[in-house]
Amino acid sequence: MPLELNHRLKLELDRDSAARQDFVSQLRSYILNDMATGMRESFEKTVAPAFEREHGRLPATQDEVHDAMRSNTFFKFYSSVRYNAQEMVWRSVIPCVERALPDIEAKIRALSGSAGGSLTLDPTLEIPSNVADVPVHLMPGGYAPSATPAAGAVYDNGLAVFSAGFMGKNLDDIGLSMSNYVKFRYPEFAPKKILDCGATVGHNAAAWAATFAGAEVHAIDVSAAAVTYGHGRAESLGLPVHFKQMNATSLRYDDASFDVVFTSMFLHELPVRDIERFMAEAHRVLRPGGMIINMELPPNGELEPYDQFYLDWDSYYNMEPYYRTYRDQSPEALLAGAGFARDDYFQFVVPQYSYTALPDFIDAIRAPRRIDGDTGRLSASLQWFGFGAWKR
Amino acid sequence: MADAREDWTRRQAFFEADAVDQLVTMVLELAAEHWVLRERVYTIEKAAGSLGLDLGAAVENYRFNDADRATLAAMRKTMIDNLMRSVNSEHRRTRPAGTG
Repeated sequence: MPLELNHRLKLELDRDSAARQDFVSQLRSYILNDMATGMRESFEKTVAPAFEREHGRLPATQDEVHDAMRSNTFFKFYSSVRYNAQEMVWRSVIPCVERALPDIEAKIRALSGSAGGSLTLDPTLEIPSNVADVPVHLMPGGYAPSATPAAGAVYDNGLAVFSAGFMGKNLDDIGLSMSNYVKFRYPEFAPKKILDCGATVGHNAAAWAATFAGAEVHAIDVSAAAVTYGHGRAESLGLPVHFKQMNATSLRYDDASFDVVFTSMFLHELPVRDIERFMAEAHRVLRPGGMIINMELPPNGELEPYDQFYLDWDSYYNMEPYYRTYRDQSPEALLAGAGFARDDYFQFVVPQYSYTALPDFIDAIRAPRRIDGDTGRLSASLQWFGFGAWKR
Repeated sequence: MADAREDWTRRQAFFEADAVDQLVTMVLELAAEHWVLRERVYTIEKAAGSLGLDLGAAVENYRFNDADRATLAAMRKTMIDNLMRSVNSEHRRTRPAGTG
């Protein structure tokens, strides 16, 4: 079932629209759990043995798995249904946002500043081609089609349908899981200034503001639509976040000005050269003793070929052109290239903060989990992968 | 593979015959609208029952007038537009017709 958003910008849905969104969300849950399980079984029982008979060995790379699966009927139906469901996510939301847009804009104006946050737009900012030219996630128009908050509202409400209830009470579970990992893993670390890069509508920046109350939280994104909507969203939650339209590869912040630089599901939207630029910028704006921490899909180097293939479906079929090139990188090497010492690198896997009893969450931090096929994958046994480094 | 796809406006096809992918789209759109209707009928019957109304008998006895017929024709057209969206390329990637 889709998440019902818990903030004042949420759409008031008529019954038919709500029923349509419920259907799409449950369809996605079925695809990601039941159909995904069936597809894996089809690979193990049919596709892999056939490959072994022909080659004398099992598929050794995700490309070999992918090539072998292309003619598999289960893969075809899984992919076709999942592709259609992705389109239906946006189709179930866009008409509702179009109707509500004047009301959303009025609410943002009324809420602005009420929680102590701010909004700074930069009409001169050049929107990078990976955002301007690609309808990422098959979202019609992409993330930065105009300065109205419409695309932010479509993303927020679409993500609520898309996530099928797996991403927290306000789509904030990633932010809550990462910030609380930091809070409980490093209790002596008390960040005073936090930067969320590629923050879209600030659903995770708001979580950092909630976890580290009193810290100054900034959230940047190239999309005026996303940060404008995010500003109203955070204000309606009573969380002071400073939203700025800014490119993470060229931060307009002073050297050594933040204790934490955070990203969530952001790096895989960038070509590798921009990841390198962003990480160098993160290193520059971090204070000595500060940390960069990224939530991401797990690197391909730590997954079995089938799991690599499964996660990289998005790169081929969900308008995620940089998804795989990112996942083929070594996170540790990327950070080292930006000036972070390899000795200061860390990575971890945590259960979902929103759905885990606090003692169990803390136990999981003390007894680190390993990356597995459910890491970063929306499913009933989802867990998040994070990595980062301290700045000396 | 910097770009997994060259043509970002073309819909993906997974079956050898594109028609199968289009049929999947039709079936799923139909299923979604079927569900919307089932949920609405369920709700109507429950709501009416809570008010002491026997809607089953009222539905059987109701006769459409010209305005009803025109409204229903427009609704059917919208439903068919959505059902056929994968076939009619002019409707690809457009907003869903008449939803809500």
